[in-house]
Amino acid sequence: MSILNEISENLQKGKAKIVKELVQQAVDEGIPVKQILDEGLLSGMSIIGVKFKNNEVFVPEVLVAARAMNMGAQVLKPLLVESGIEAVGKVCLGTVKGDLHDIGKNLVKMMLEGKGLEVIDLGTDVPPEKFIETAQNENCDVICCSALLTTTMGVMQEVVDAAKNAGIREKVKIMVGGAPVNQNFCEQIGADYYTPDAATCAEVAVGLFSA
Amino acid sequence: MNPKELLFSTLRHEVTERAPWVPFAGVHAGKLTGVDATEILTDEDKLVDALMEVNRLYKPDGQPVVFDLQLEAEILGCDLVWSKDGPPSVANHPLADTMNIPCRCTLPTPDAGRMPMVLSAMRRMKAAVGETTALYGLLCGPFTLASHLRGNDIFMDMYDDDEYVKDLMSFCVDSGKKMIDMFVDAGMDVIAIVDPLVSQISVDHFEEFLSEPFAELFRYIREEKKVFSSFFVCGNATRNIEVMCKTAPDSISVDENVDIIAAKAVCDQYNVVIGGNIPLTSVMLHGTQQDNMKFVVDMLAKLDEYKNFIVAPGCDMPYAVPVENTIGAAQAVLNTADSAEMVKNYTSATFDIEVELPDYENLERPLVEVFTLDSATCAACTYMMGAANVVKGTFREKIDLVEYKFTEKENIARCMKMGVTNLPCIYINGQLKFSSIIPSTEELEEAVNEVL
Repeated sequence: MSILNEISENLQKGKAKIVKELVQQAVDEGIPVKQILDEGLLSGMSIIGVKFKNNEVFVPEVLVAARAMNMGAQVLKPLLVESGIEAVGKVCLGTVKGDLHDIGKNLVKMMLEGKGLEVIDLGTDVPPEKFIETAQNENCDVICCSALLTTTMGVMQEVVDAAKNAGIREKVKIMVGGAPVNQNFCEQIGADYYTPDAATCAEVAVGLFSA
Repeated sequence: MNPKELLFSTLRHEVTERAPWVPFAGVHAGKLTGVDATEILTDEDKLVDALMEVNRLYKPDGQPVVFDLQLEAEILGCDLVWSKDGPPSVANHPLADTMNIPCRCTLPTPDAGRMPMVLSAMRRMKAAVGETTALYGLLCGPFTLASHLRGNDIFMDMYDDDEYVKDLMSFCVDSGKKMIDMFVDAGMDVIAIVDPLVSQISVDHFEEFLSEPFAELFRYIREEKKVFSSFFVCGNATRNIEVMCKTAPDSISVDENVDIIAAKAVCDQYNVVIGGNIPLTSVMLHGTQQDNMKFVVDMLAKLDEYKNFIVAPGCDMPYAVPVENTIGAAQAVLNTADSAEMVKNYTSATFDIEVELPDYENLERPLVEVFTLDSATCAACTYMMGAANVVKGTFREKIDLVEYKFTEKENIARCMKMGVTNLPCIYINGQLKFSSIIPSTEELEEAVNEVL
């Protein structure tokens, strides 16, 4: 088995320490950094994403896989900067105001990072203006809003409106998700994309940058 | 057989004449009396008033007293963030930075946190409706409680330190037993263990960490407390239904993410009752009254017999669910055949019945029109018609009063022509005055006086 496959397989099992060691070994063997990232770490995370979408793995498996990915990425980060390799794109993400639930939001973050995107995590209870301010200051191309409650999903409408008022609606794509949200709601509030799970969110988001 | 007996009969796995109905009106109860979610969960009188209104309007066979999964977490040191239209959320996790097991001396007692208010409300509900309505005492399941205490790290702990997770689960089981003791003592007939996070883990993890704790809690409820039990889960728990059954609860309750008919087949193998699963958002919150009736009628039509099945919302109903939607769902459970006919007539494409509406501009005297599903069978409709009859008794020949029951095709056509969408309701001189919420005699008299 190639070392890149080994990285991917151990990442899927959540073996953070081993992943870190293997990544270092791959670097030492002279494998290009971008290749280690794409074919080792991101490919492993991508498989976890598909399995999560298909209900083959669940929250704990995703969390430990993501932790392993981050451990491996720590080794690569300085080398990626040195080689001038940049993230595919930049996304700001948060659970909307009034809502403190973060499991879903965290999964989305991990899946986005697993696709090579840079994520600015605004946390939970995020007011609409914070999304907009961050998108403007950090030059984000995508805003991802999460909500678990039927009572807070309405805040997503405020995010869309705030983007219009700030004059950045044409520049950013707004994605929405969470248990009570659906495609109808997305269309109703004028958001761009609804995705039913974290893995699909990451697929759609990365598609926006490669388009 | 009174409503409570009917539910008990189902929980004993007997065939019943109709399916029992358990609307999970937690914070939503407050909508019926005009108080917000925070008030419902902190003010005993407001809670009891609202629960009594739930009992009156929705005619439940069983009803929860308090639906708040943060009750124990608050006692155990989590800060809560309160909301006016939903249950509170946990804001911090006392074990986030330390892998300790809290002292058993911190476990819930009758004096802790909001327990005095909750237990007193339970006793008052028991005295008021306990003869005819089965009362549910809801506690936070051990896995969700563990996550309240530890935060999301509990998921990684399952990989990193399984002994710690087992110890923490054991603490949460002890907390559950304390809650069960108090709830049973306060007269609760069914103890529901509500654990939404069950849907977030694999069957393997369920068996490793949850099977034993849940089996112990259900054994405790069954053998030592001798009351009925239920296992509530939210989200797509399809794969875990079988392992949930193996923990031996009397019943399981699922939301719309689970195919309830397929899940029932699994539950039947273990002789466990299944309940659910009217969709909370798409049907109850955003659907129409007809959508709610249709969902329930269609779901019940898929059953071979009324056995091991309870009709309920998918989970705790959103605060803002329109009252008429729950009334429609109730009507469909309580009078399924009539409701099926109404739904059929309503959805049939052509209406060749010509209805003539009164000349509202030139009436001889005020006209009070009451539109009902059927005042003989629908509780809310009975009260709406009752209120109108009282006012008719006061004003006598000065007003005209008429009831239009939705059971008649002609009346469906009349509703359509007038744009009536929510039942029961009262129109005065062709204007909608009261919808779903029953007016007091004074309010209705005032409305009539305005047009006299």
